[in-house]
Amino acid sequence: MKKIAVCYKWVLSDADIRINERTRELDMEKCKPQINEYDRMGLETGVRLKEASGCELVALTCGAATEASAKDALSRGPDAVYCLDDPVMAVADATATSKVLAAMIRSISDVDVVICSEGSSDQYAQQVGPRLAALLGFTSVSYVSKAEVQGDALLLERKLEQGTECVKVIGPVVVSIVPDICEAPIPSVKQILAAKKKPSIKLGLADIGLSADSVAPLLHVAGVKAPLSERKAVRLNPDGVSISEAATALARQLAADGIL
Amino acid sequence: MSKIWIVAENTAWLAVLAAYAKSLQPDGEITAFVHGDEAAARQGIALGATAAFALPLPADALWESYTPLLAEKARAEQPALILLSAAKRCRDMAAQLGALLDAPCFSDVKNLSLTPDGVSGETLVYGGAGVAQATTRAATVLATVAAKACDPALADASRSGTVATLAPAPGAAQVTARLPREARSVNLDGAAKVVGVGRGLSEQKDLAGIEALAKAIGAEMACSRPIAEFFKWMPEERYIGISGQQIKPQLYLAVGISGQAQHYYGVRDAKIIVSVNKDAEALMNLNADYYIVGDWKEVAPSLIQAFGAV
Ligand SMILES: Cc1cc2nc3c(=O)[nH]c(=O)nc-3n(C[C@H](O)[C@H](O)[C@H](O)COP(=O)(O)OP(=O)(O)OC[C@H]3O[C@@H](n4cnc5c(N)ncnc54)[C@H](O)[C@@H]3O)c2cc1C
Repeated sequence: MKKIAVCYKWVLSDADIRINERTRELDMEKCKPQINEYDRMGLETGVRLKEASGCELVALTCGAATEASAKDALSRGPDAVYCLDDPVMAVADATATSKVLAAMIRSISDVDVVICSEGSSDQYAQQVGPRLAALLGFTSVSYVSKAEVQGDALLLERKLEQGTECVKVIGPVVVSIVPDICEAPIPSVKQILAAKKKPSIKLGLADIGLSADSVAPLLHVAGVKAPLSERKAVRLNPDGVSISEAATALARQLAADGIL
Repeated sequence: MSKIWIVAENTAWLAVLAAYAKSLQPDGEITAFVHGDEAAARQGIALGATAAFALPLPADALWESYTPLLAEKARAEQPALILLSAAKRCRDMAAQLGALLDAPCFSDVKNLSLTPDGVSGETLVYGGAGVAQATTRAATVLATVAAKACDPALADASRSGTVATLAPAPGAAQVTARLPREARSVNLDGAAKVVGVGRGLSEQKDLAGIEALAKAIGAEMACSRPIAEFFKWMPEERYIGISGQQIKPQLYLAVGISGQAQHYYGVRDAKIIVSVNKDAEALMNLNADYYIVGDWKEVAPSLIQAFGAV
């Protein structure tokens, strides 16, 4: 193993999405960007493989306004971060993202292990890792819940519907992890300070030999709407109502609804 | 008339994909690929495919190593649409095939349709908080399709077609062992009442209090993803959500679950949703029919008592 590259997506947190009740559109105004939750486990997996193998570890991302992610990514352990930052990537689909990441990896020398996570919290298409492998001509091993270094080889465990599949890979590989592979520790103050001294490389499409046309998405999103929810959201214990009164009210209500 | 390929995880899914393909194009030509032996492929013919290929699980290689072979065939045959099971191996294959063919993929597609202007379909975004309407004009389009996307096609053994078994290309990955998962003991699907627990519980022994509540109303137990995957307090078949089980019980009672979109997606079709959460503003409360704000340790015993009294 020479160099590990962990890919992460800089996504808007979904916790603060508001729904416009009239248009059913998603209002993302209050949502802050963050490193995709599952990619934080990908970064930590990279750190552990680096410790076990002694090789180099870099992180990379692509998208619009991704440069802001560099410090957070660096504080999670990589030696350097590459941020491809281009407004055209705001509408990227998995085809575009994987093409850009593949070109970035080719431009960074010696990468032979790529780590992605199962999916991102926004699109969750579960496509980018295996696509990247096919584009790079690397082996794809997806849904990985355990990764260990054994000499030149990686010993991986995949979590599939049928059970566990144990895989040994020598040579270039894209490992797509599932979130239970490890915990993603919150960076310490020391790590955050150290991150400031590490290199962060900002790239544009031209730097990796791509044109905006070559990464136009193949899926065109015409619109995003929130599904209708017609739940009443009745609080059974407003001020002055005790929990046991609320419980009784619920039991009566469910009996009236024919559920109990 | 365009060609449709179906790539299935098993024969049950094959029947669903065959029906799905027919619903898109009643007289279209279907080619089936199925994880299994030649008998499984013959089932593809009985379900309406004109040609069917068996992709048996290689002894020491990944099943996905059939991908380059399928890409080569796809380049020759130019299917308009490739429908694959929304199961892990098929998802991986869909992505690799998509990359090799420069074709987009609708993941877990809903309302797919073929139009003169291309293919349109819906996918979920932000864990189900939104539904994206997308279109593409790509020559070949892939989609992964849920096991319950439609009623299965009926097999007719008198149908005829060609059947063959493919051999995968050698790859660098060597499968050293396959450990089957423990037998499933759960059928959340058919349960009328389900109680789901989340990280509002602080330790595994807290489950006992909720199990007593579930027992009081004859409900199955379920949970959020971290409870199953991270804490491993419950088997993974019991976690609900976009990447877990999607259920439609009469009653879903969520205890100590924040109700993020990814979880809520799995119960959005429940008839009645009740939430118990100490945070009044928790999404699970705001998206429930009824909710009680409080510590479950106090609420659960009250509920057991109240349910016992009706
Ligand atoms: C791509 C992706 C896919 C995902 N897929 C799924 C999925 O399929 N299913 C799934 O469940 N999640 C999924 N998740 C995770 C999801 O986003 C949430 O993180 C998860 O559902 C939260 O679990 P929770 O509600 O148990 O925990 P938390 O979010 O930590 O919520 C715990 C809740 O308990 C309440 N609480 C705390 N103490 C008490 C108490 N004493 N009494 C009452 N209430 C209390 C708190 O107020 C809080 O609301 C996915 C995430 C991503 C990014």
